[in-house]
Amino acid sequence: MKKQLISFQLNNEQVEILCDPAESLLHVLRVQLGLYGTKEGCSRGECGACTVLFDGRAVNSCLVPAGKVQGHSIRTIEGLSRGENIDYIQEAFVEKGAVQCGFCTPGMVMSAHALLKNNPDPTAVEVRLAISGNLCRCTGYKQIEEAILSAAIKLKEKEEPD
Amino acid sequence: MEADTTTINKEVQRDTDFQSAEVWAKVTGRAVYGIDLSFPGMLHGRILRSPHPHARIKNIDLSAAAAVPGVRAVLAGKDLQCKPYGIVIDDELPLAVDRVRYIGDEIAAVAAVDEKTAERALKAIRVEYELLPAVFTPAEALSEKAPLLHDHFPGNIAWQRILERGNPQVSFREADVVVESSFSIPSVHPGYLEPIACVAISDRYNGLVLHTALQSPDMVRQIIAGVLAMPLSRVRIVGPVMGGGFGGRVYGNLKLYIISALLAVQTGAPVKMQLTREEEFTVGRPMVAAEVKLKMALRRDGTILAREADIITDNGAYSAQAPWVSKTLSERNDSVYRIPNIRTRVRLIYTNKVPTGQYRAYGNQAANFASESLMDMAAKKLGMDPLELRLKNCTQAGDVTVHGLQVKSCALADCLRAAAAEIGWGDKKEGRGYGISAAIHANGSIVFDQDFRGASAQARLELDGRVTLLTGEQDYGQGTHAAFAQIAARALGLSPEKITVYSRDTAVTPFSLGALAMRQTTIGGRAIQLAAENLREKIIHAASDLAAEPVLMDGGMVRSASGSLFDLSVIANFHHSRTSGLVLVGDGQFVPPRSDYDQTGYGNISVTYSFAAHAAEVEIDRATGALTVLRIVAAHDSGHILNLTSARGQVLGGVAQGLGLSCYEGYLFDEGWVANASLVDYKMPTALDIPAIEALFIEYADPEGPYGSKGLGEIVQVPVPGAVANAVADAAGDWVRDLPITAEKIYQAIFGWECAE
Amino acid sequence: MSYLVASNIEQALTSLREREGRARVVAGATDLFLEELPAHLIDLTVIPETTLIEEKDGFISIGAAVTHTAAALSPVVCSGAAALAEACSQLGSPQVRNIGTVGGNVVNAAPAADAAVALVALGAGVLLVDTAGGKREEAVENLYAGYNRSVIDSTSEIMLRLIIRVTDREEGSAFIRFASRKALSLPMVNAAARVRVTDGFLQEVRLVAAPAGPAPTRLRQTEEMLYGKTPSEGTWAEVEASAAKEVEVRGSLLRCSEQYRRHLVGILSARVLRKAAERAIESREGESR
Repeated sequence: MKKQLISFQLNNEQVEILCDPAESLLHVLRVQLGLYGTKEGCSRGECGACTVLFDGRAVNSCLVPAGKVQGHSIRTIEGLSRGENIDYIQEAFVEKGAVQCGFCTPGMVMSAHALLKNNPDPTAVEVRLAISGNLCRCTGYKQIEEAILSAAIKLKEKEEPD
Repeated sequence: MEADTTTINKEVQRDTDFQSAEVWAKVTGRAVYGIDLSFPGMLHGRILRSPHPHARIKNIDLSAAAAVPGVRAVLAGKDLQCKPYGIVIDDELPLAVDRVRYIGDEIAAVAAVDEKTAERALKAIRVEYELLPAVFTPAEALSEKAPLLHDHFPGNIAWQRILERGNPQVSFREADVVVESSFSIPSVHPGYLEPIACVAISDRYNGLVLHTALQSPDMVRQIIAGVLAMPLSRVRIVGPVMGGGFGGRVYGNLKLYIISALLAVQTGAPVKMQLTREEEFTVGRPMVAAEVKLKMALRRDGTILAREADIITDNGAYSAQAPWVSKTLSERNDSVYRIPNIRTRVRLIYTNKVPTGQYRAYGNQAANFASESLMDMAAKKLGMDPLELRLKNCTQAGDVTVHGLQVKSCALADCLRAAAAEIGWGDKKEGRGYGISAAIHANGSIVFDQDFRGASAQARLELDGRVTLLTGEQDYGQGTHAAFAQIAARALGLSPEKITVYSRDTAVTPFSLGALAMRQTTIGGRAIQLAAENLREKIIHAASDLAAEPVLMDGGMVRSASGSLFDLSVIANFHHSRTSGLVLVGDGQFVPPRSDYDQTGYGNISVTYSFAAHAAEVEIDRATGALTVLRIVAAHDSGHILNLTSARGQVLGGVAQGLGLSCYEGYLFDEGWVANASLVDYKMPTALDIPAIEALFIEYADPEGPYGSKGLGEIVQVPVPGAVANAVADAAGDWVRDLPITAEKIYQAIFGWECAE
Repeated sequence: MSYLVASNIEQALTSLREREGRARVVAGATDLFLEELPAHLIDLTVIPETTLIEEKDGFISIGAAVTHTAAALSPVVCSGAAALAEACSQLGSPQVRNIGTVGGNVVNAAPAADAAVALVALGAGVLLVDTAGGKREEAVENLYAGYNRSVIDSTSEIMLRLIIRVTDREEGSAFIRFASRKALSLPMVNAAARVRVTDGFLQEVRLVAAPAGPAPTRLRQTEEMLYGKTPSEGTWAEVEASAAKEVEVRGSLLRCSEQYRRHLVGILSARVLRKAAERAIESREGESR
């Protein structure tokens, strides 16, 4: 197994790692880089628990070969809140009771981020579509949908001057 | 029973939406789940599993596997001195010795420096099998020529029972109307999103520590200690955060834990093992599948006279808790209505398939689907409104049901009326189908063990004035701990933020049966209330010593008769120093009176019962049979609701699971092999598949539960398949009698064509 | 295993040539990653021309590494090849669509790959280059060697782009899929159509239903039957019967019985044709205002 040097942007920092390019990005994040916030639910792209942002797009990191990441930008759940600054989507998830067991949550939050970046004022249907690749077994999705819609309102309020 | 509120609480936002602080760890990706655990020097274990549904093991050769570089231990069944174990019937071994009984049966295990090495070692293990004839359905297993799967179980019947009350034969003779039908419910997986994972650490000095998330760590601990022949106090279970349970993590995957422990003992290193998603479907334990033949006798005015059932449940290759699930499945649902005469035969049959286990509501949902469908068939035959038929017969407060359940509080009739009103029962739209169903569930059950029918807890005053609750009740996001914090807060006059709940270490926390049988809110919660009240007394006592005069406690502060104010940390420190180190700890035990439950299964099994009625509105595309569930209204009687956010979350999530069972899920077997062992072929509902769901809470204070509350967490799923099936029948003209209700089956129900295959 | 992110086509071809069959090209990798990986992978997705969508001289050119999401959102594809936009917007999940590619959907050669079904109905072709310096165009319809086997040899050939003739003002196209769940589901049946309606009569009908064999298959008898007919409820009823009769389907434990699948092909064929014809008529009416 030959290792390759892969350099990419991870959570706004430039990183360079030595790894097997055939390893999944999910494995690299969790095992090699110790970023266990991105979850492994199926390893086949069928549950969305491993969702990260790849150049701002929500993708299943379990299906991305590490070699593909070269030169791209990756964002994980760990790259959202910094210290006291709580990410607005994470805040909305807590406020709306959208977190039960929490296993789907990082993936859901990343999908929500991708959505609101491209579509800051989504309809309920658009929200459901955006999380349609993220399975949740605890919540039935409704409170997650409400959290994302609430986050969109927060975003608008942040941008509108008083 | 007193009415606390007679108004129907429809998703009103209250202050009581407090959540455990753990949600912040979860939402920022910092919560550590079993699958995330890592320890220095940790090895990875993998299990070799039988590729055959039924075979004799002629020979196993581990030598090549042991020689693979990086392998630290290899084990086969013949190396172990373990006796057969089980949850109800001792019919399993940690690793098979001379016979395998399903595709996936554990034969050997390796521990290696990483997963890839472990996989390579597995491939190097040589096994010689002698294939045996296999049986894949209960019918095959019951037939004359069937091979015997377990010695001492003739006919492959693992467990059976005939339950009889009153005189059903007479009722059927005298009835005006008789309806009968057969239903089938497949095995379904609890569907927790985090695959089961554990790390076992063992050494001569500390015994065994098992890191894994469990709904019932104390019960699992007892079994493990027994199998490994270790003293109980030398087995400790520490829980990371749990990625879902729903019954699947009550016992979890005992094999995985036992094998990890054996490898840890062998190697002296931490050993991590987890199931792949595919293994979750092939060797994780799905709920018992059931075939239910049901017959009901009624009078012309709709009064139910009797019901007879012949039930066959599919055990799979080993029993685990399937006998208990079969028990609940075959009796619980009888108490929804006043049915004076019952006869039920239930048989649990071994087959060469994955062993079955439990899922939220423990089989009640399977039986409910059958009986609620039959109710509507009866209504149709009688020319009666299905709602009226139910209102005429439904259980009411003060009843003692046919099996001896003492119903202290019951708002079932209100639930039925509320669900019906909300769905628009009196104003049905053209071209749509409407269905309704009713359910009951116990709050803890003594059926399996009269002892431990209660719960205990401790409330500890910390030196900083905060309070820690020590409990064995588990929270994996249902909101149990938040509810406990609210209960203790109320008893102590504090805000819930000041209260921490600690539950995930068997070395420290009180024994508990755990998150099962919907017992935690009612029984666990009462123990918490009592512990907090006991702590309150102790605080007052210590404070009066400190003040040297009488004191009162109010709003989290203590006030003496002469007007001095003491906050709790002062009192805590006072006691700490006068005792040279002790802190004030309140004890709470809630032990309901012993039940009169007898040999025939008659008796009160729980302190109180929760009720629910769900109504569904659906539309069918007649050209294809495709079903659109438009709305589900879920009306619940769970007493006074302590926390509306988590209660609503339970209903929304539970109904979504119920929809999965109703329309999407079910194991598909092909000669004992699970054909849909992936998340794309075993379909749980996605965000696009969920209809509008409304939760209605009918709140009457229950005399038993803490501050009048009752359990909600399991009953939420129960009425869904019945409501959907009845709505489909209303739209299609006939019932789909086997789950899941697919478009193809609906199409057949409409047009009556027999499937060629 | 080595992974090369190629910066241009020449580099990719050279690398393929040097590896002598032990390397293959990859775009999104979502299908490939679930199988056994070859010794070397050559990633095409940052080569500028592979992610372009262009319309020129009545043809849409879609780079082989255009993602499903990009195709679904492209105004050019939405108006000139609606069936493809619909297929690309419904398959898999958002995560799969954000990195999986239209080209990959064809090369993976699954019998009911949604984008490929739409492409065959649209009459799309591909432009291929190979390590011997060759260049050829081939109809998507002819790219299937067997179940899950493409005619394209990814160890020596690179798909540069897909080419679709734009639906003109008399034409319309549509795609429809039937699955047991609204996301993350393989279809029980999917269907796509491209039709021309001239003076109120159907001409040039292309109808595809899948899975009905190793490749997305045209229902030619039904296509012929429709020539000269008017788009009407009576015609669609005929299609239901004709398509169901014509198609060769199999039942499966996981999805549905043969009988039901056959029935679905009939219903979906009629529905997709109705939609395509409505679009053709609207497009014509839109033009004449």
